[in-house]
Amino acid sequence: MATTNATISISSDIMGYGVNISKSMTLKKAQSCTNLEETSGLRTKKFINTNAIAIIEADEYTAASDGTANSGHKVYIRNTSSDKANYFYIAINASAAAQTTTETIGKLYGSDWLLMPYTGGTNITVASSTTDTQYLEYIVFADGMTK
Amino acid sequence: MATTTATVSITSNIQSSNNLSINASSTLMKTGLTTGLELMDMGHGELTEASARDALHEALGTANSSNYVYICNMATDDQQYMTIGIHETVVGYLGAGEWMFIPWNMGDADAEINIEAEASGTIPYNWAIFKSEPYTLPVSTPA
Repeated sequence: MATTNATISISSDIMGYGVNISKSMTLKKAQSCTNLEETSGLRTKKFINTNAIAIIEADEYTAASDGTANSGHKVYIRNTSSDKANYFYIAINASAAAQTTTETIGKLYGSDWLLMPYTGGTNITVASSTTDTQYLEYIVFADGMTK
Repeated sequence: MATTTATVSITSNIQSSNNLSINASSTLMKTGLTTGLELMDMGHGELTEASARDALHEALGTANSSNYVYICNMATDDQQYMTIGIHETVVGYLGAGEWMFIPWNMGDADAEINIEAEASGTIPYNWAIFKSEPYTLPVSTPA
């Protein structure tokens, strides 16, 4: 059986004393002990303008899983540049307007990354903040794909 | 200057002929700057199905600022998952033992992160929010 593990480590001295968070997980199907078995594959996208683009299209992924009401997809996205002045807006929205919608999740500056669950019901749309060249790396670990 | 570093390691053998290994690390900075974040909140809570949808945290502060959110579903029962939403949109479902880490716009109610338990029993969860300044404290209500 395929196995995908993800471990996060956060260290911070904001408090003046060290705060450390460390947690590992095995990515599983929704409400199941079965591991995720499909993936979009790791992709890299080059951006040279500020146009919003749907990098993850919901119609590629099932919105329900094995008789359960929901899906256990996970999405990883990383801004591979190191420039902290530029960023990508990340939005969960069917249309291409990442920076103006109420469904904007947040901004990924250079080197920033996210890992989050995904319903497979709505596109994930991104927009670069600059016309400078930036790259985005992303992958979906899927709880069912339609294509 | 305070330093907050977030690191992720992902390994997968889904593609049997090409095992995947991702390692990434980022030092979290204030909005568009090279100085580190200086505010954080963290805690532990419990959700029940009866409590319906709750806001994780008041979405105060400066819109479009640089903030980061960690949430972990600490349940051990595979049936106990959390629904995670931004405003009126469901982002995804966080299963037992699963965590997430995202940037967060914060700023106003449109950016609210909401959480909801979707199974009977109590779902324990851990959370942490790392914030940019300025952060708006709630208005005082004198007695």
